[in-house]
Amino acid sequence: MTASASPPVLEAVDVSYAYSGPTPTQALEGLSLELKENEFVALLGPVGCGKTTLLRIFAGFLRPAKGSVRCGGASIDGPGSQRGYVLQEEAIFPWMTVRKNVEFGLLAKRLEASERRKVSEELIGFIGLAAFEGAYPRELSTGMSKMVEVARVLATDPSILLLDEPFGALDAQTRQRMQDALARLWAQRRKTVLFVTHDAEEALYLADRVLVLSPRPGRVKATLVVDIPRPRSFETRFSGDFLALKRRIWEATGLQGPHGTEPTTA
Amino acid sequence: MMTWVRARRAVIALGAIAALYMLAAQIGHGRLPDRIWMGAHYVDNVQLLPTWRSLVEEGTFLLESKILVESIAVSTRRVVLGLLVGSVAGILLGLLTGLATRLESLADPWVTFFRFTPALALLPLYVVWFGYGESSKVLLIATNVAVITFLGAHHGVRGVPRVYLDAAASLGADGWLRFRRVILPAAFSSIFASVRVAAGLAWVTIVVAELINPQMPSLGYLLALAGAYPRVPTMLIGLATVGALVFVFDLLGLLLHAWGTRWMERAA
Repeated sequence: MTASASPPVLEAVDVSYAYSGPTPTQALEGLSLELKENEFVALLGPVGCGKTTLLRIFAGFLRPAKGSVRCGGASIDGPGSQRGYVLQEEAIFPWMTVRKNVEFGLLAKRLEASERRKVSEELIGFIGLAAFEGAYPRELSTGMSKMVEVARVLATDPSILLLDEPFGALDAQTRQRMQDALARLWAQRRKTVLFVTHDAEEALYLADRVLVLSPRPGRVKATLVVDIPRPRSFETRFSGDFLALKRRIWEATGLQGPHGTEPTTA
Repeated sequence: MMTWVRARRAVIALGAIAALYMLAAQIGHGRLPDRIWMGAHYVDNVQLLPTWRSLVEEGTFLLESKILVESIAVSTRRVVLGLLVGSVAGILLGLLTGLATRLESLADPWVTFFRFTPALALLPLYVVWFGYGESSKVLLIATNVAVITFLGAHHGVRGVPRVYLDAAASLGADGWLRFRRVILPAAFSSIFASVRVAAGLAWVTIVVAELINPQMPSLGYLLALAGAYPRVPTMLIGLATVGALVFVFDLLGLLLHAWGTRWMERAA
């Protein structure tokens, strides 16, 4: 990893994790990584390589069998709102309106109704859902629901965001819009972000650094620094630098293969 | 909205059956035998299928003598009390065992044990324990209701999707907030569905209990008395009254359920 003066905000040292059960699965093996403050890191890897496992370890829901995970120097021993976690599954509360969803974490912090309202109004406005403030999630599209989940996590002002394939279920067009929305959010309120995805283009478009994971058991196979200036735009996706990096990612996965071989990570 | 459409359709369906009955009674009038053997003696002037005229006459008598209204009041009171006591007990226990896995293995055998015990098999015991008065009947209903609502609450809590609990925990919610704002709303539908089923069962329990242990005034007593004479119009009016009350209770339950789950996506 790069030498740096400031200590890592989030780090995993030699982390291994295995699922027990009828078919024991080694999900992670000797994985190490670290995130600096306000860094946007994308974790890229094929389906089933342990990306979600790693994120759940960082979120505090799983304990590594070997190795350690630390947040701001302290060992992680449970979930906490300083690490905002957006699950891969749809986890918006369907019995709450958009506003109540966004305010949930503030309720946990015992904020007054008026203060909660101030925060939720601003965030809902920012994700462009002001008109849906009083709507129940069933009235939202998948993309809107995901943005509400991101806003819900941002409401508690965590220093770290753990995002697990937030746009995985979206069509290409909506996904691009959501990526832009997330990039804008990140530009406005800097956070340390660990973004899990299996989409190389998405990883490049959003991140400062892309970590390519190997297939199961997952470990960091390659690190790419994305030195493409921000704000990035639609044109960025077709720039020479971008495409060159994209090629390097495919090479790093080792799946470019002979002619006619289908890459399995798309 | 949907609830009202369904209620209207139900009224139309019930009305159609009633009209068919009236027609059959009218055709049978004067043609059906009016003398029956009751096992020990003959009874004359039995209206096997009372016509609407004799139903109206009997209904007027039951209303004017206040027998019907008093019976409804007494039986309804027992059902409501039993439903309240049983639901509170069953739901609390179900929430508890739903949250604490260790308690489940303690409660589960007892629930299975009682689930298939006919409610009325408990009646003799309850009469001995709690007397002939209100308590034995109310507690009999409560027992039945508690078993069903226990299951609704227990499985409701167990069925709350993991993702909601994880999301809440990671947003910093403590156990109490998760219980109030996540577990309860997510389990509400299951809990309330069980209360609705229990409400129907409460009516079955009370009417049969009142038949076996008949005391004036009550709907069970009215039916038992009508059987002793026998007076078919009284029986039919008694049965229709119980049916109507079950219907009203179920409609109330449906409205409450719809209100509590208004966030849900509903199939038309």
